[in-house]
Amino acid sequence: MEFEGIIQRLREIGAPGLVSTDEPRAADPEDKKDKGRAGDAFVLVEPSAIVGFLAACRDDAELAFDLLVDLSATDPDAADEQFWIDYQLLSTTRRHRLAIKALVAKEGAEIPTATAVYRAAGWHERECAEMFGITFVGHPDPRNILLPDDWVGHPLRKDYEFPTEYHGISCE
Amino acid sequence: MIESNQDPAAAMSERITFPGASRTLPTGEREFMMDVRTADLEINMGPQHPATHGVMRILIRTDGELITGAQPHLGYLHRCAEKIGENVEWLQYLPYTDRYDYLAAMNNNLGYSMAVEALLGEEIPRRAQMLRTICAELNRIGSHLIAFGTYGLDLGAFTPFLYAFREREWMMALFEKICGARLTYSYLRIGGVFNDTPPGWLQEVEHFCDVFEEKHKEYVDLLMMNHIFVKRTADIGVIPVEMALDFGLTGPMIRGSGIDFDLRRDTPYMLYGELIDAGAFDVVLGSGAKGTLGDCWDRFYVRVMEMIESIKIIRWCLGSIEPGPVIAALPKVLKVPAGEAYVGIENPRGELGHFVVSDGGKVARRVRVRGPSFCNLAVLEAIMPGTLLADAVAIVGSTDVVIGETDR
Amino acid sequence: MGLIEHQFEENLLTTKVDWLLNWARLSSIWPMTFGLACCAIEMMAVGAAHHDIDRFGAGAFRASPRQADLMIVAGTVNFKMGERVKRLYDQMPSPKYVIAMGACATGGGPYYKYGYTVVKGVDRIIPVDVYIAGCPPRPEALLEGLMKLQSKIRNTSVIRKPVLTA
Repeated sequence: MEFEGIIQRLREIGAPGLVSTDEPRAADPEDKKDKGRAGDAFVLVEPSAIVGFLAACRDDAELAFDLLVDLSATDPDAADEQFWIDYQLLSTTRRHRLAIKALVAKEGAEIPTATAVYRAAGWHERECAEMFGITFVGHPDPRNILLPDDWVGHPLRKDYEFPTEYHGISCE
Repeated sequence: MIESNQDPAAAMSERITFPGASRTLPTGEREFMMDVRTADLEINMGPQHPATHGVMRILIRTDGELITGAQPHLGYLHRCAEKIGENVEWLQYLPYTDRYDYLAAMNNNLGYSMAVEALLGEEIPRRAQMLRTICAELNRIGSHLIAFGTYGLDLGAFTPFLYAFREREWMMALFEKICGARLTYSYLRIGGVFNDTPPGWLQEVEHFCDVFEEKHKEYVDLLMMNHIFVKRTADIGVIPVEMALDFGLTGPMIRGSGIDFDLRRDTPYMLYGELIDAGAFDVVLGSGAKGTLGDCWDRFYVRVMEMIESIKIIRWCLGSIEPGPVIAALPKVLKVPAGEAYVGIENPRGELGHFVVSDGGKVARRVRVRGPSFCNLAVLEAIMPGTLLADAVAIVGSTDVVIGETDR
Repeated sequence: MGLIEHQFEENLLTTKVDWLLNWARLSSIWPMTFGLACCAIEMMAVGAAHHDIDRFGAGAFRASPRQADLMIVAGTVNFKMGERVKRLYDQMPSPKYVIAMGACATGGGPYYKYGYTVVKGVDRIIPVDVYIAGCPPRPEALLEGLMKLQSKIRNTSVIRKPVLTA
């Protein structure tokens, strides 16, 4: 199914939390500041409803998104006040993809965990949590996954300051 | 005189049952009989262990010979690739892609280049696409050769490792001729490939294909169909279909469980659509031929047989490659239009995804790498409990992880 | 032995004790199976038939540090692993040698600037005898590194008092 078809189907089944869609577009020739947008289309979803939305995507027979391929976060800019949390879904039977995005405030960032819907989310969420300091509410195993347990800071934030020393080993 | 043509080993195991061993119930489940009750013991497998393929650590809880819990610990090779992606220019990041899955560097180059090209909207010359396909598939063979050789090594067979490296050395010599490096190539660039082939290279690849097809039969006889090997891998580490999907497995892991899904065929990119139309290759699936569907042997079978499919793809490309430009004209300092794109390609280990976000500048806002090994490894938590300690190495080896990619 | 086999009467061999000890040491360096990253693949290639590190007496890769003489640090060391590298080094019996293989083990390599978890050179954790350049080094380079280490061992004195020069 193409993107329009997927959106139409999502609206039909009343997937919870669907806010809007964003599709790539060409630059407006009239407006010089407008550069357009390239790449993929995505769906914007309310963070609090993300679990229900993912479950709807997985359980609907026509959408049948049986794989959560990727879950990651993005810190677009140090001045920006929101993190993006991106979900990539894939259907092995229908052979289509869907990109989902949820925006959460940086201050006390939290979002419900998707592990109940896809167990694949578990490790991705642990990585996101340590790299950005996002809390995945209800995560069964919220330990650090890549970084040492006593690591300070969240490296993939844009305002991250590189360490100068770790346990007596100089980093300069 | 043996009259029946029944497997003598199978007949023997039907007759003899030792207490304290395991047996297969008529329902197909394995039952372990405990002769001695033992206390729980926690064993660290790794980070320095000859069979973890790098610096992974698995905390195994055992009760006697039985594994009751397994917890992979990662991060011993975390090299900050995603942070680097946000700090260096688009083209400068390419060498770092070589280094996360260092067994399939060509495929990584391809994945990253395609993600950036998805934002650029650049048309790639046809000869470049052909060369990309040839290199990616050659590298797939090289990667599966390592999987083949080291899996034998894990299970105690040293000879297959030497056999596998014999062909791999030749493959690396081919890559050395085309780009000058043996392991980290940076040959597939954004917009095409770095340069055209040296004279006679394509003929040598063809020669490699001819020889490899012969040698491949040796691999099948030597290891894959070896009775001892089959006994050590069949019925071990079974991944059911639902579990495979739930954990987001991809690549040979999911095909070993019989799920007919290959990104090259099902979400065609580059030339693979044409290849499928021409019927140039098939998708190999596990069938449970030696045991249960989705066991270690099935995953190994998929990898070994995929090498032959890659040879078919290379042959098709060699048959239809034509002279022409090999790289699109792009500025030296690349400015990528604002937007975001996710591109997933079929890496030897599964779906390698690159999620790139650009704000229109010279440096990416975000380069997210979805490594297939990362997701494939998570399933160990679920399949290892309930198996014997001696099978732990067989199960870990069958996931064929590259730690550079799980940790990035 | 060919030409010299069965050609001589009973014989005496005179040599220096130091020379003999060094010769024994340098001809049977047992490395530890210790692959970290990309360089480990080239280390495996060195161990395979084509390059064959056994020619130099260093082909017996040991899985345990307690049986090994040589640690080839083949790849990037990060903080989480650094602690283990140090512990493995401490577990090796003396005399022990370390080869830093590749740019990452030598000085952080491509991860020097933005690699927040990367140890910028394994010599910040353990002493290194031989550094090998390359990313990753070719198998021939590793063999040369091994030969450099052998020539270093050849020139050490075991039983003599070290001669101190001003």
